[in-house]
Amino acid sequence: MPTLLETERMMYASVVGRDAEAAASQIIEDGIAPLARLGIHRNNFLGALTAVLRQSFPAVHRLVGAAFFDHAATLFIETLPPNSAYLNEYGADFPAFLERLPQAAALAYLGDVAQLEWAVNAAFHAPDAEPLDLSRLAALSPDEHARVAFVPHPSLQIVHANHPVEEIWRAVLAADDAAMAVIDPGPAPEWLLVQRTDWDVGVERVGEDEAEFLAILCAGRSLQEALQRVPGLEASAALSGHLGAGRFVDFTLIEHGEARRLAQAPR
Amino acid sequence: MVETRPDVAWLEVHTENYMGGGAPLAYLEAIRGRYPLSLHGTGLSLGSAGGLDALHLERIRRTVERIEPALLSEHLSWSVSGGRYLADLLPLPMTEEALDVVCRHVDQAQTYLRRRILIENPSTYLRYRHSTIPEWEFLAALAARCGCGILCDVNNIFVSASNHGWNPLTYLAGLPPAAVGEIHLAGHSVRQIDGRTLRIDDHGSRVIAEVWTLYEVALSRLGPVPTLIEWDVNVPPIDVLLDEAAKAASKLAAHAREVAANADAA
Repeated sequence: MPTLLETERMMYASVVGRDAEAAASQIIEDGIAPLARLGIHRNNFLGALTAVLRQSFPAVHRLVGAAFFDHAATLFIETLPPNSAYLNEYGADFPAFLERLPQAAALAYLGDVAQLEWAVNAAFHAPDAEPLDLSRLAALSPDEHARVAFVPHPSLQIVHANHPVEEIWRAVLAADDAAMAVIDPGPAPEWLLVQRTDWDVGVERVGEDEAEFLAILCAGRSLQEALQRVPGLEASAALSGHLGAGRFVDFTLIEHGEARRLAQAPR
Repeated sequence: MVETRPDVAWLEVHTENYMGGGAPLAYLEAIRGRYPLSLHGTGLSLGSAGGLDALHLERIRRTVERIEPALLSEHLSWSVSGGRYLADLLPLPMTEEALDVVCRHVDQAQTYLRRRILIENPSTYLRYRHSTIPEWEFLAALAARCGCGILCDVNNIFVSASNHGWNPLTYLAGLPPAAVGEIHLAGHSVRQIDGRTLRIDDHGSRVIAEVWTLYEVALSRLGPVPTLIEWDVNVPPIDVLLDEAAKAASKLAAHAREVAANADAA
């Protein structure tokens, strides 16, 4: 008699791995083949998770069509089933999976579109957080200002794409064929900020320097380090823009030695 | 629901849909200000031999703390193996070992969440050769050993009884009435496989007449238990759903009148 652990492993192989023989041998036939009974659970597994991916990647779905999407989703789901029952987090690896999929190679910007959609999905479901109270910053001394390390809003994402993905994404979601027809989808670097404000997710194109400046701050590095590493940027304008848009929710002060050490770290 | 405030007693949502922030949680909190809520989980996997996912349990705790639900429930099933979630309520072998595992996990969850949970009977489409305990006895033992409640899904009883040749009345009679804290009703679909009928629980249509009849039996056996219509696939216009809920409410009220009349007669 198989243990519970063995039973669940056999069922797992049947549902995920297309290997139903062992599980089938443990199931009472009663007029319906065990493989048909097991097939119900495999269909539930693929159907539920494909629906999750379809909801998170609507532009990818439109770009490749339902048949190809379902095929790619099945391969992805079998390769990387969710590691948590919180399914709003399922699909983070789908963009990279699509980029490696040989059949999708003809659509060079597909991975970038998927990456943007994942950022939008993550921002939509991110935890709530109040923006930083700016009067707390105003109360700091100039010395302390340099040592500020910000905590980003949980919804904030920085997307670096290699194609004009924002235009493509908007045109595809709007089913705007006329707009799609005039977009040059060729390689062109693009940096996007994705953030939820109140209930809506916004996508904003920014320059490379501004994206890098924000990425350094989001990594928990000091303001001084960010200023030193992106010297070309109109920093005070960029910073007040980020603060005004509620992109930070808190800050800490990095100790002097720590700030210097980080500032000298190679880029 | 927030703007039109239809006349329903309470609402239920899937716990896993409200573990983040933003619009979904904001809407739920707005509804929470107007209706009692029940949180119905699908991801805790109480039957996993490998143990509970501590992070998932903590996410449930945070959601419970924020929503303060009137009822909290999960399923008699498993969904996680080797740390991978299968997004389905998979059947457990009805064995003493599985009963021990589920009991241990229900104890762990109730201790961590500091409240009683209700465990729902599943719809099943297969039986294991090594099962030894009737499902209703398994549930009754679980409730007796852990002090948890039972969520009696009348449609699931009908579906499983039909699929496995059980008598649904035997199933109902086997549940301890004092433990049953909630009833579910739902529609299901019917498939023909190998010339045999298999009923599939899918929450995608109206409750069928046979299940309404079984619901009346359940009320007379279990008493006036809060009842929910589950409909989360092919979701109909709200009026259709409200009509189903009103039908359940009228049967519940008729049962209460009958009990009162019997009490008067006595």
